[in-house]
Amino acid sequence: MISSRAYRLEQVRFQYSGSGFELQAEDLEIEAGKIIALVGPNGAGKTTMLMLLGLLLKPGAGTLEFFGQNPWTDGRLLDMRRELALVTHHPYLFRGTIFDNLVFGLKVRGMDRAGFGALVRETLAMVELDGFAEAPVSELSAGQAQRVALARAMILKAKVLLLDEPTANIDAGMVQRMEAVITEFNSRFQTTIIFSTHNFSQAFRLATEVMHFSDGKQVKYSHENFFSGKAETDGKMSWIEPKPGARIVFPGKYNSHVTCVISPEKIEALSVNESQKIYGQNQFSGTVSRLEMAENNRALVRVSGDLNFRLNLSLQEIEQKKIALSRKILLRFPPEAVEVIN
Amino acid sequence: MIFTELAQAIWVSLKTSGAAAIIASAMAVPLALFLSANEFPGKRFLLLLNQTWMAAPTVVIGLLLYFLLSRTGPLGSFGLLYSQTAMTMGQTILILPLIIGFAYTALSQVDARARITALSLGASPAQAGWMVMKEAAFPLLVAILAGFARAISEVGVAMMLGGNIRGYTRNITTAIALESSKGEFMSGVILGVILLSLTLGINLLVNLGLRSRD
Repeated sequence: MISSRAYRLEQVRFQYSGSGFELQAEDLEIEAGKIIALVGPNGAGKTTMLMLLGLLLKPGAGTLEFFGQNPWTDGRLLDMRRELALVTHHPYLFRGTIFDNLVFGLKVRGMDRAGFGALVRETLAMVELDGFAEAPVSELSAGQAQRVALARAMILKAKVLLLDEPTANIDAGMVQRMEAVITEFNSRFQTTIIFSTHNFSQAFRLATEVMHFSDGKQVKYSHENFFSGKAETDGKMSWIEPKPGARIVFPGKYNSHVTCVISPEKIEALSVNESQKIYGQNQFSGTVSRLEMAENNRALVRVSGDLNFRLNLSLQEIEQKKIALSRKILLRFPPEAVEVIN
Repeated sequence: MIFTELAQAIWVSLKTSGAAAIIASAMAVPLALFLSANEFPGKRFLLLLNQTWMAAPTVVIGLLLYFLLSRTGPLGSFGLLYSQTAMTMGQTILILPLIIGFAYTALSQVDARARITALSLGASPAQAGWMVMKEAAFPLLVAILAGFARAISEVGVAMMLGGNIRGYTRNITTAIALESSKGEFMSGVILGVILLSLTLGINLLVNLGLRSRD
């Protein structure tokens, strides 16, 4: 029976030999067909997690299942590896032409060469490199090389696509188009896409779920609100200003770069009448930019303003406070609701 | 030295040294690939042994094999002494560490991402290894040609194991040695020029390859 769950990790541990860093993944499940973002600072374990999910690293402990099977014990490791494709950060292109690179994965899978031409043309069109099939890879820019690496993975139409910072070397204009390619690919082929990024905005823009990693541990697995910045303190309370004038206050004494997270459930939306009360700290205004249904008669409300937030409100509350798309809204949360994660 | 003898000597050189280069490469390149892709206890020691072996005098290698292949030796029953096969065996052992060393360097310089990339796209370990070798194709060819050049220009192994039999195991280098000992210096010089031309041609290819890689 084919599992609808792409991955299940249970008590997984991985450590590079001679390194003090250990990646830990407790109970983690990734549903098939979703787009998942891995976020976190450098050294947090995102790449290691992608390598584990790519079945290129074997967990030192715990269980990793891929579509319901254990690749390390079921004797089908190579078959399972051929059901996914990984694009590494700073990808390596093989000598030769773009065509040579794109067909590599097809060749190792023993696919019929008669269809290579059409597949290459179709895939290059997706990444806006039409007509470049015979171009030598030595003549490509960094951005073009990144797109070729993406195309080389996409052409395989694998069940899972793992992307390590897929838009890192691409200029801003092309980034938006490549993000559209990624979401279109997921939609068209129901491919599970797991990508790592430093860009929280990108993560929330593309992903259905976001996982945050810090020091090798998965910190959260939900639609949290993340903010980073250089913290300042008065000795009792600290604050960061992710944008000038937009200050997030939290208890404690921090004076280095921190990442804070605020659970959507802990943010209060104020009705038009209540907005007259000046609450002071951690009070922001914005416009409702998105409403998504969530479980248990609740909805995720995305608010765009100086800072962007996600709130998790009951449908009743949304109705009472007349929260609707494009309506202005005031929101607030107590300093204690802010969790400093690194 | 008459023309037919000259032609035979050149043919024996090309045949025995060519075979040695092919056999040595078939062993050396996969071993070099394994060494370049893996870390294990004793690896540095093995590389050191290989470097030491590279500098072994040809007569020493010839002597060791002579003892093995002589009638009283453990492989004497095969009757290989004073044959082209014995020459090929000796030259294979002579150039094996050279090709291992050059191939190891060539493969170690392939970007480490090449293998991971191949695996990440569904290649088996063997397919990934083959891709790494393709990425180092020219340096590997340079390594093999360097081994061939070394084999074709050595005299110690050929003399001790081949016996310099006219029309059979006499190659260019043993012919030079013979002609010189007979006082036929002009013949020796001509043979030397031919050998030099062959090795010059090979070294030219090696250098052109290195320059294009740089």
